[in-house]
Amino acid sequence: MVMQSLEIRRSSASVWGIPSGIRTLPTVSKYIDTSTCIGCKACEVACQEWNDLRPVQTAQVGTYQTMPTLHPEFWNLIRFNEQNFDGGIAWIMRKDQCMHCDDPGCLAACPAPGAIVQYANGIVDVNQDLCIGCGYCESGCPFDVPKFHATTGKMAKCTLCVDRTTVGLEPACVKACPTGCLQFGTKDDMVALGNQRVSQLKAGGLKNAVLYNPAGVGGTGVVTVLAHGDHLDWYSLPSDPHVPILTRLWKHVVRPLGMVAIAGAVIGAFGHFTKFGRKEVPGSADSGVQPPPA
Amino acid sequence: MSATPTARHRPVDLAVVAGRDQENLIVGNEIVRHRRASRLIHWSVSLTFFVCLFSGMPIWSPIFGWMAAFFGGLSAARVVHPWAGIAFFLFSAVMFFHWLGEMRFLPSERGWLGPKALEYMRYEGDDSEVGKYNGGQKLFFFATALGALGLLVSGLLMWWPSAFPRVVLQLSYLIHDITFIFFAIAIVFHIYLGTAAEPGTFGAMTRGTVTRGWARLHHPRWFRDVTGDDGSRRG
Repeated sequence: MVMQSLEIRRSSASVWGIPSGIRTLPTVSKYIDTSTCIGCKACEVACQEWNDLRPVQTAQVGTYQTMPTLHPEFWNLIRFNEQNFDGGIAWIMRKDQCMHCDDPGCLAACPAPGAIVQYANGIVDVNQDLCIGCGYCESGCPFDVPKFHATTGKMAKCTLCVDRTTVGLEPACVKACPTGCLQFGTKDDMVALGNQRVSQLKAGGLKNAVLYNPAGVGGTGVVTVLAHGDHLDWYSLPSDPHVPILTRLWKHVVRPLGMVAIAGAVIGAFGHFTKFGRKEVPGSADSGVQPPPA
Repeated sequence: MSATPTARHRPVDLAVVAGRDQENLIVGNEIVRHRRASRLIHWSVSLTFFVCLFSGMPIWSPIFGWMAAFFGGLSAARVVHPWAGIAFFLFSAVMFFHWLGEMRFLPSERGWLGPKALEYMRYEGDDSEVGKYNGGQKLFFFATALGALGLLVSGLLMWWPSAFPRVVLQLSYLIHDITFIFFAIAIVFHIYLGTAAEPGTFGAMTRGTVTRGWARLHHPRWFRDVTGDDGSRRG
């Protein structure tokens, strides 16, 4: 849904780009600390409840994980993973959801004007009214987040509870989290909190702890503390996410060149006509050769 | 009913009647170039092409968003486009096999990818050995067939985005776009040559007939084959 009370920073498929509004809102962010997540899934339930998503068939994937991937009716998934670490087991739980990229690949790929917007506060949202269900966004997202909903024919994903955050509430998942591993605030505050937590983890012996806020997509509106930052695959996170180069090539090179080429063909045909004119059947070569059948 | 000729008793247009099921046939001053079946196939391809064009271009770029209005909006265009694409491909396939036998390249048509095409566009060059189709037309025939196939394959992948890896989708969008761009350029010249540039050509696809003079100018060998005329004027 689109919250009209928030200005639009960026809009999909806008011809000239339509930053709107005169207010500048602070960029907001969600903080996720995987090292204090206990895997209770309260956030999953809160997300389903607040967004009124229908319960979907769960799938047993051999761990506590609810679903193999995100789903158009399941926007918040704790990914469970077990890895050998330091002679024992590292039990990884990572909250998978839309990362609300500063440079969103879904928005770059979307062909429907205004169907994917980025608000002035950085939240990336889908306007269900304008979404045409083409699925281009799925190809543009480096995190495999947008999912096509076969029933509505539209894309659906986490909205960062824009309907709550607009009126000063924290997202539903943050509200429900019992350990405080989820926090919500301005991006600056959340990054500071994350860096502080990373320092703590490093001091505690987890030398590879990082705050996941990848620069390739301009940083994300969801920053994640990872205890094992040297093993991003344990968290199913890409090491260098960015808007796909083929998407850029498609939208920013092939498309404009193609328009110029097609326009050039039309202009070329006109030019040809002015220079060479018609290729007329010579003179009266045929007149009177044989009368047309009466 | 009176026997005197009235508007309801127009003389039978023999060329049109012949053109229902016969080609390469002289009727008076006209030669039947495309029988009715050929023309129907051609216009089916043409119609579905334009449905695809107008439903696809607003998705290609918002600059062409207004075209979506023909279908009742972008969502409707997005629904129409793949099905129109299937129809376009099927008609293209029918057209391909309908004309394939007449489109074999001759050794003398090798140069059509380069200098011959330019000579042709300058209205120069030696056309004396041009049969029913010239090298450019044959090239266009195979290029559009290949294009239709490329659009189909990439389009089918795009139709089920969730079923394929992201990089496959990204490549499909690129291939679909690039194929369309070349296709559109070819169609611009196809329409231009078939209408404004070469008078008398369009009738081959409407009435089905061309004049003798037209045939002698554009397709001399075909003219000789059909008429047995060696090129000198006869009464």
